[in-house]
Amino acid sequence: MAVTRETAATVKEIEQYKYGFVTDIESDKAPKGLSEDIIRFISAKKNEPEWMLEGRLKAYRYWLELGDQEPDWAKLHYPKIDYQDAYYYAAPKKAALASLDEVDPKLLETYKKLGIPLLEQQMLAGVAVDAVFDSVSVATTYKKKLEEMGVIFMPISEAVHKHPELVKKYLGSVVPYSDNFFATLNAAVFTDGSFVYIPKGLRCPMELSTYFRINEKNTGQFERTLIIADEGSYVSYLEGCTAPQRDENQLHAAVVELIALDDAEIKYSTVQNWYPGDAQGRGGIYNFVTKRAACRGRNSKVMWTQVETGSAITWKYPSCILQGDNSSGEFYSVAITNNHQQADTGTKMIHLGKNTKSKIISKGISAGHADNTYRGLVRIGAKADNARNYTQCDSLLIGSTCGAHTVPYIETKNPTARTEHEATTSKISEDQLFYCRQRGMTQEEAVSLIVNGFCKEVLQTLPMEFAVEAQKLVGISLEGSVG
Amino acid sequence: MKPAAGLMEHPFGADYARRTPAPADAMLAAFRDQARSVFEPQGLPGPKNEAWRFTPLRALAKVPFIPAAAADDVDVTAVPAPVAVLPGAARLVLVNGVYRADLSDKIEGVEISTASDRSLLGHIATMASVPMAALNASFMGAVLSLKVTKAATTPVHLISVAAAGSQPVAFHPRLLINIAPGAALTLVETHCGLPGQATLANPVTEIRLGEGAQLKRYVQVAEQSDSFHLAATGIALAKDSRFEGFHTGLGGALVRQEIAAVMHGTGAHLELHGAYALDGHSHHDFTTSIDHHVPGCSSNQVFKGVVGGESRGVYQGRIHVARDAQKTDARQLHKALFLERGPQIDCKPELEIYADDVQCAHGAATGEIDADHLFFLAARGIDPATARMLLVEAFLADATERISEETVRAAFTRDIQGWLSRRSLKAAA
Amino acid sequence: MALLEIKNLHVSVGDREILKGITLTLNGGEVHAIMGPNGTGKSTLSNVIAGREGYTVTQGEVLLDGKDVFAMAADERARAGIFLAFQYPVEIPGVSTSSFLKTAINAKRRAEGHKEIDAMEFLKLVKAKTKELGMADDMIKRPLNVGFSGGEKKRAEVLQMTLLEPRVAILDETDSGLDIDALKVVSDGVNALRSKDRAFLVITHYQRLLDYIVPDHVHVLVNGRIAVSGGKELALELEAEGYAKYQGAAA
Repeated sequence: MAVTRETAATVKEIEQYKYGFVTDIESDKAPKGLSEDIIRFISAKKNEPEWMLEGRLKAYRYWLELGDQEPDWAKLHYPKIDYQDAYYYAAPKKAALASLDEVDPKLLETYKKLGIPLLEQQMLAGVAVDAVFDSVSVATTYKKKLEEMGVIFMPISEAVHKHPELVKKYLGSVVPYSDNFFATLNAAVFTDGSFVYIPKGLRCPMELSTYFRINEKNTGQFERTLIIADEGSYVSYLEGCTAPQRDENQLHAAVVELIALDDAEIKYSTVQNWYPGDAQGRGGIYNFVTKRAACRGRNSKVMWTQVETGSAITWKYPSCILQGDNSSGEFYSVAITNNHQQADTGTKMIHLGKNTKSKIISKGISAGHADNTYRGLVRIGAKADNARNYTQCDSLLIGSTCGAHTVPYIETKNPTARTEHEATTSKISEDQLFYCRQRGMTQEEAVSLIVNGFCKEVLQTLPMEFAVEAQKLVGISLEGSVG
Repeated sequence: MKPAAGLMEHPFGADYARRTPAPADAMLAAFRDQARSVFEPQGLPGPKNEAWRFTPLRALAKVPFIPAAAADDVDVTAVPAPVAVLPGAARLVLVNGVYRADLSDKIEGVEISTASDRSLLGHIATMASVPMAALNASFMGAVLSLKVTKAATTPVHLISVAAAGSQPVAFHPRLLINIAPGAALTLVETHCGLPGQATLANPVTEIRLGEGAQLKRYVQVAEQSDSFHLAATGIALAKDSRFEGFHTGLGGALVRQEIAAVMHGTGAHLELHGAYALDGHSHHDFTTSIDHHVPGCSSNQVFKGVVGGESRGVYQGRIHVARDAQKTDARQLHKALFLERGPQIDCKPELEIYADDVQCAHGAATGEIDADHLFFLAARGIDPATARMLLVEAFLADATERISEETVRAAFTRDIQGWLSRRSLKAAA
Repeated sequence: MALLEIKNLHVSVGDREILKGITLTLNGGEVHAIMGPNGTGKSTLSNVIAGREGYTVTQGEVLLDGKDVFAMAADERARAGIFLAFQYPVEIPGVSTSSFLKTAINAKRRAEGHKEIDAMEFLKLVKAKTKELGMADDMIKRPLNVGFSGGEKKRAEVLQMTLLEPRVAILDETDSGLDIDALKVVSDGVNALRSKDRAFLVITHYQRLLDYIVPDHVHVLVNGRIAVSGGKELALELEAEGYAKYQGAAA
């Protein structure tokens, strides 16, 4: 099965757009497949300067050279992706007007179940939201207020025009186009994403948030996020992801680059709830994401928190390159896989500077027929005197048909560095379940409570409004897993 | 013969095969042919082979090895002096993998034969996943089979001496150990070499433990500083059998001790521990794989290492718990201590779990000698050099004290102490 | 109508019969003590009533307010008013005592058709009760039972009992691991809950606990059967003479 299975309906759509591509530049969807023409089309659609197009084409040509060398080292099994069988550009027809209320009823139902209308809550809480609907950024709230403070928060397509010097300087500086197969693909075809710049010395007073959504059928989503925290600044950034339920698999290959300069701090939180496929493993998002932070400055700090409950396939390793002396990186992760989901996720902490610190807390929960792998690298360079790493990976198995795996790599070249890694595997004990049920909780309430306890260390690092959602998601993701 | 595109060139080609003595019989010949058909297309594992990413073989591949059996200028008349005499143990001596009755003792209770045990050969060490088993099988010379049918009272001390003449030599011995149900054996192995040209020891050991059988196997590898040792061991454990293993690595240019055990019967228990101490440009690699194939088995691993000079220590440990292998208890720990600036430690402990009612854990740590501990000893009037030595000894003792045979524990500990005192002398000079 | 009726209860674990016909009636306001040597089925009785898995009821029934307990899942029984104070309260890492209590209270409220408890109201209620039980203020913030001392664990059990207001409370060896001060606090907590709408089944090996929680009836459980029943003086007699004479009789 190809990643995006063609249906009768989409064949019709192609008919419709076969000519549209050449003549109608206003069309809202490029034809299927990937070629230099498509890339030129995307670039033209965005009215990009020549240097952007060149960058894309360079990436595309490199990607062609890679041929079918998709990374195969992860513990993931999925049918071969047919990259010519997807749309690389899809924009909602009324992009500029699309309101944030425009959410799939199915999704609304989920949020109702969660008891918190996410968007409303974010608005109320004063969270600035940039919504990426398929490929374009449809609305950015609180723009004005942020502008006054000197914060740049806008779709990256806009930043290319308004702040080319920043984009030129930093785009691809953490994740170069040649980094890996999916990052190369993204560099060639990315359509939108968020751009954030926090000026020197500013503690951004509100959380910035992007809300990603894959809506169109057979669309790949390739967003690109770039966050720069200038000297002494601070920002907390939230990312939420959802997608409607479809039988086809859809590809999501994003790249996120963070740059923290001297004394700057970035907190990046993700709640990923892409459609995971149904109980039989049909459909669901293929999530191949490259996220990396460069702690360039002295005393800089980056903290990744992720709650991964969705996607059929998750391939994701938010990393930190600890270049600046005294810089620190933290990675907190909850990954839940149920039914036929597969996740291979973790982090890389590359210690280059002196007195650099990293901390990794990973909680993997596997249920149903799912597989859940923690894969992480801690590398201490020869010059990273007094570097410190602490890693704790805990896996929880629910039922006897799932798998939980831990694959850490620890490479040390400095005698004064200290690394510590611990991993455990366990299950929810019958005693714990009985105890909860004896206090009147249903099986599902009990599982949710116990698993939330297991994930506590990670969930408590989330900003409040996300933490509540994440806690409920934990319970919902595991529904039907024990019984 | 030129290797296929992308493979590194190595000395184990057609010419090497031609100079390797013919097998004893047609069965062995067929076994070797089959092995070469596996080895040749894959060659020596390169850096892209995940299991070998930390242990490059480039330097080894450049040494013009000839088969040891083809070297007519090797002359060994005695066991090298530094090899410890284990009280009460019977000696079994191999030179370049070949059994030497003239240097060996008579052993009671153990059936020793140079004929291959066909029920074992090639069944436990798998060529497909273990490249060193494929290399061994391709050029397999001497086979030594040990069979134990009751509890052997005399420990066996197998001494494998590597010796080159005017050219570097390689040898590929195969040891087959069959412990019958209820039987038991204690086996100590010393792998050492004589000064001179480089050697490559490529021993493969296949071990079968019958129901309720017990094997204690203690292996010390102390090759010459320019020599190579690439060993692979496969262990199959039946119901309620018990295996205790300890491995030391004290030097050699490049040493890899790869141990793979499979639990085939409920109630099997495995203890596998090791210690390494490296200096100069030594590279040592412990790679273990414990496969809990059936429910109700347990395994425990503790590996400790100290590294100095420009050395590199590697530990890769994989624990696999099969679907339905409930009530598995599997643990694994690796800790390494840096003695100075220069060395490198690579560690990859791995859990692969497919059953929920299990207790599995691993831990890994690296660091240097704790300054607080040093200060404490200094405050008690102990000079820094002695203090460091005491602390390193204590660090490694956490592994060595798991050797249940007292005489072996004492001998192995003495070896480590010897290494440490030689090293600190060298540092002082 | 009796609150809890146990009628000719036979229970096996695997092939082994543990309870061999227990009949017991608890009326509102009564405290029944079950005493007996180790391994005679005391904990089996409490577990079976509470609905722990792994036990097979081969004969007999248990009725709560006339309703068949065995037709209900463990959590339904709890919401219907059966409370088991565990001999070994279970640790649940990462789950704070307060969020555990709140979840349990709300489970019961929902079942009874009430709305969920208000956060402030909950806090006020819990604070008052922890104070009564002599518990530290921060205890409810700590993960449930994790790192609690034996005394703290038992107090936490009584706190839960107080908040959940059960119809029938079963105390399984609540005195084990308690020093005399803790025993007194725990007993005071239990005594405060005694009412005509509630019954207690106190399971204990020693008479000591019954000095503080004075029973109306004492039953001696030996080899899966009630060997003898009597008033509170029976406990004193057992303390003095031991179980030997009943063990002989039952065998």
